[in-house]
Amino acid sequence: MSQDTVVFSARKIVTMNPSRPVATHVAVREGRIVAVGSFDEIAALAGGRVDGRFKDKVLLPGFVEGHSHIMEGMMWSLPYVGAFDRRSPEGKVVKGVPTIDAIVERLQEAEKAMTDPDAPLFAWGFDPLHIGSVLLTRQDLDRVSTTRPIMVVHASFHISNVNTLVLQRAELDRTTNISGVVMGTDGEPSGEVQGIAARFRVFRVLGTNPLSGNLTADDVNRYASSCCVQGVTTVTDLHNDLADLTVEVYRAASRRDDFSVRLVPAMASVSHSPEQGVAKIKALRASNNDKLHYGIVKLVVDGSIQGFTARLRWPGYHNGAPNGLWYIAPEELPSIVAAYHEAGIQLHIHTNGDEATEVALDAVEAAQTATPRPDHRHTLQHCQMADAAQFKRMKTLGMCVNLFANHVYYWGDSHYDLTMGPERANRLDATGTALRIGVPFAIHSDAPVTPLSPLFTAWCAVNRVTSSGRVLGKGTEALTVQQALNAITIDAAYTLKLDHVVGSIETGKYADFVVLDTDPLEVAPETIKDINIWGTVVGGHVREAPRA
Amino acid sequence: MMVSSSVKTPVTVIGGFLGAGKTTYLNRLLRSDSGRYAVLVNDFGAVNIDAALIAAHDGETMTLANGCVCCSIGSGFLDTLGRILDDGTTFDHIIIEASGVGDPWRIAEIALVEPSLRLNAVIVLADASRIVTLLDDSRVGDTVRGQFERADLVLLTKVDLLDRVAVDSARSTVSALRPGVAVVETTEHTLPGLPDGAFRPASRFAATDADLTDHEHDFRRWSYSRSGAFDLDALADAFKALPPQLLRLKGACRIADEAMPLLLQMVGQDWALTAMPDGMAAEHDILLVGVGTDALPDTSALDAILDAALISPTSVTTADINRRQTAFTL
Repeated sequence: MSQDTVVFSARKIVTMNPSRPVATHVAVREGRIVAVGSFDEIAALAGGRVDGRFKDKVLLPGFVEGHSHIMEGMMWSLPYVGAFDRRSPEGKVVKGVPTIDAIVERLQEAEKAMTDPDAPLFAWGFDPLHIGSVLLTRQDLDRVSTTRPIMVVHASFHISNVNTLVLQRAELDRTTNISGVVMGTDGEPSGEVQGIAARFRVFRVLGTNPLSGNLTADDVNRYASSCCVQGVTTVTDLHNDLADLTVEVYRAASRRDDFSVRLVPAMASVSHSPEQGVAKIKALRASNNDKLHYGIVKLVVDGSIQGFTARLRWPGYHNGAPNGLWYIAPEELPSIVAAYHEAGIQLHIHTNGDEATEVALDAVEAAQTATPRPDHRHTLQHCQMADAAQFKRMKTLGMCVNLFANHVYYWGDSHYDLTMGPERANRLDATGTALRIGVPFAIHSDAPVTPLSPLFTAWCAVNRVTSSGRVLGKGTEALTVQQALNAITIDAAYTLKLDHVVGSIETGKYADFVVLDTDPLEVAPETIKDINIWGTVVGGHVREAPRA
Repeated sequence: MMVSSSVKTPVTVIGGFLGAGKTTYLNRLLRSDSGRYAVLVNDFGAVNIDAALIAAHDGETMTLANGCVCCSIGSGFLDTLGRILDDGTTFDHIIIEASGVGDPWRIAEIALVEPSLRLNAVIVLADASRIVTLLDDSRVGDTVRGQFERADLVLLTKVDLLDRVAVDSARSTVSALRPGVAVVETTEHTLPGLPDGAFRPASRFAATDADLTDHEHDFRRWSYSRSGAFDLDALADAFKALPPQLLRLKGACRIADEAMPLLLQMVGQDWALTAMPDGMAAEHDILLVGVGTDALPDTSALDAILDAALISPTSVTTADINRRQTAFTL
C-alpha cells in the first residue's frame, strides 16, 4: 500500500455490500476505496496513514438522492415560510411557520434586513394544506409592506400570493376576469395568482422571476452544502434544460477538488426534439468527469396528485375532481420513448397518477418490443399510485421505480381524505409491493418540493406516518430500516446506472461516505430521522457539515 | 372617430390536438406577406421555411425576409414572450402556438391582462378525420374537449381527405360542442389568413374551393351607444345574460363613480375593464361594438340586456348594426 493511502477507522462501517456487510476500516487512495475490512486485514498491509477522526462514528455509503432539483440550492437564497422545520444549507434548523401570524413575522424580519427599498421580497415553501387550508391574503402580506412588492411562492411552485402593491402595479383588480386571479370575499383579488397569464403579468411588473433566473455558482454551492448537511454524496438535478450557461456552471463546479457532491443532471425532454435531445446528451456525456454524470433524460407525463393535475384511471379522484392534465400526449409518448431507448439513453419518466403510469408502461413495452435492449433500467419517477399489476409489468419490462416516500408524511392526509380515498392512499408509494414483486426501487424527496434528507425519506418509508399521525398501509407497504437504507444508497445508485461506482463501500468504488453519530440499524426505527449527521467524505475529501 | 386606435398588439392563439394541422397553418401564416408577425412555436424543427426566405437564424429566433420572426418556445414560454415584448420591435400581430395537449385559453388570457396586448382570437384546429374519435377517447377526450371551450373560430382541417358525410359528421360534432361558433372547412391549400377581426376567412379560401363557400359563415355586428353609466354589479349580471352567439364586445364603458370611461374587452364570457390606454380617448360615456355569428339575436334584444344595467335615464343614439365601426379593430 503506497504512502498516499489513508485508512479511515470507524466505530462501525455499514457497507451495504451484502458479501461484507460490516467493517471497521476503509483504505482510500486517489479518491477510491482500496480495501475494506478489519484493522488486521487492512493495516497489516505496508504503509498507509491511519486517520482516526471517525473512531467514534459510523460510516455508511454516502446517500444517493435519485430525484431532487438544483432549485433546492436556488430557493435557499430566499426566506422559507413552510409549516415544517427545515434545515438550511448552513446547517441551521429553520423553524416551520405554521400560522399566518408566524409567516407574516418571518417575512417582516426578512423585509427589515433588505437594504434596497424597492427590491421585491420573494419567499417560498408555503402550502395552505399544511396549515388547515387557511389562505394567505394580500392583507396579510400588506402587514409586511405596502411599499415593497412581495411574492410568496407555494411549495407546489404553481401558485403564488402577492401583496396589494403587486396587484396594483399589475392592474389586477375587481374588474379582472381571468381564471388565474382568485377573488376574495370582498370581491377584490385575494392576492393568490396562478396560471400562465397571471404569472406572466406579475413577473413582468416585478421585473424578475426568481424561479427562472440564471444558475450561479452560489446556487450550486448551496446545493452541495445542503447535500453535505444531509449526508448526500450523489445528487440528481432531475429536470434541466441544460442551457449552455448551466452546463458551464456545472463544469466549473464539478472540477473543483472541494466540490463535495457528484452531480447527475437529467436533460428535460420538453425543451428539445428527440433528435436534438439524443445528440445533446451524447455530446454532454463526452464532458463527464468523476463528479459530473450526464446521460439521462427526464420526461414529464402528468401533473401532481395534490394539485389534482395527475392523470388517474377510473374512478378518478376520490372527491370527484375532474381528471388531471397530460403534459405529453399519450399518443406522442411512444415515439419520444423509442427515440431515447434506441439511442441507448436511460429514461426517467415522471408519472404521478396511475393512468399516466399505464401510458408510460405501454410506451416502454412498445420500445422494448421493437428494439429489445438489455439492462435499460428506464425508471418511473414518483409513480405514487401504481398497483400490483403495474409493478408486475415494470418487472417484466426490466424497469426501475423511484417512489416518493416523503408524500406519505406531507400529503398522506390529503390523499386519504380528498384525492385517493382510504384504500388507494394506504398503498400510496408502494415500497412493499415493489419489494415483493422484485422491481428495483429507490425513494426520494423531490427537493425542494419536500426537504432534501434521505434519512427522513427512509423514516417515511419505514414508519408510513402522516403529518397528522395517521399510519398508512404500514402492515403491507413499510420497509425495514435495512431495506430503506438500501433504497437511499445502492438501489438509488442502481436507478441511475451508477451502482458500479457509488452506493456501497467496497473496493474499487469512489470513497464516498456519510459520517453518522449513530448506526441507523441499532436505534428505534421511529428515530432514524433524528440521527446526527457529522458530514461526508467525497472521493476521500472530508467535509464536516456546517452547523449554524 | 370617437376612439382612436391604441398601440396594443393583437394576439391570436392557435390551439388544437396533436396532428390537427397547427404547424401547417403556422407555416402558411409565416410565409404570407400580410403583415409583420411574431410567431411563437413549440418545435422549431417542424417549421418548414425555404432557406432562401430566412434572413437570420440564431438558434432561438429565426428572422424571415418578409419581416416575420419565429421563436422557439422551448420550456421558457414566459421568457420567450417577454423577450418579444421588450425587444422594441413592433409587430402587426403576435401568433402563439399552444401545445397539442395544452389549453389555448390559458395562453390567450395573457392578452387580457398585459396592457400592451389585446386578444384577437383563439383559433382551434380539428383534424376532420379524427376529431370524432378523439372526443370519445377515454384518455384524451377531456383534454380535446377543453381546447374548444373558448374557441372563437374552429378550422376543420384536411376535409379534402374525407367524403361529405364524414365531414358533416365532424362539423356537427364540433358544432354540438360549441353552438354558434364558426366552423370553417379547410384543406392544406385553403387555410385562411389570420382573421381580420371579423373572422372572415381570406378571400382566397372561397375562390379556390367553390364547394366550401356554402359553409362560409357571415358575422353580424352590434353597436351599442348610451350616455350615462352602468352599475358594475348589474353589468356583470348583464354580461352573463348575453347570448353565446356574441363572440366579443369591446369599447368605452362608463361605470358609476368612475370619472372616466373604462376600456371594456370581452371575449366569450370573459371580460376585463381597464383604464383607457394612452392615445385613446372616449367621447361617449358608453360605446360598445360587438361581433357575433349570423345567429346573433336582434339588436333590440341585446340592447335591452345592457340597458337593464344602466343607473340613470339615458338618451339613446341610433346604432347601425351593419355599419362597421372603424373605431375599434375587433
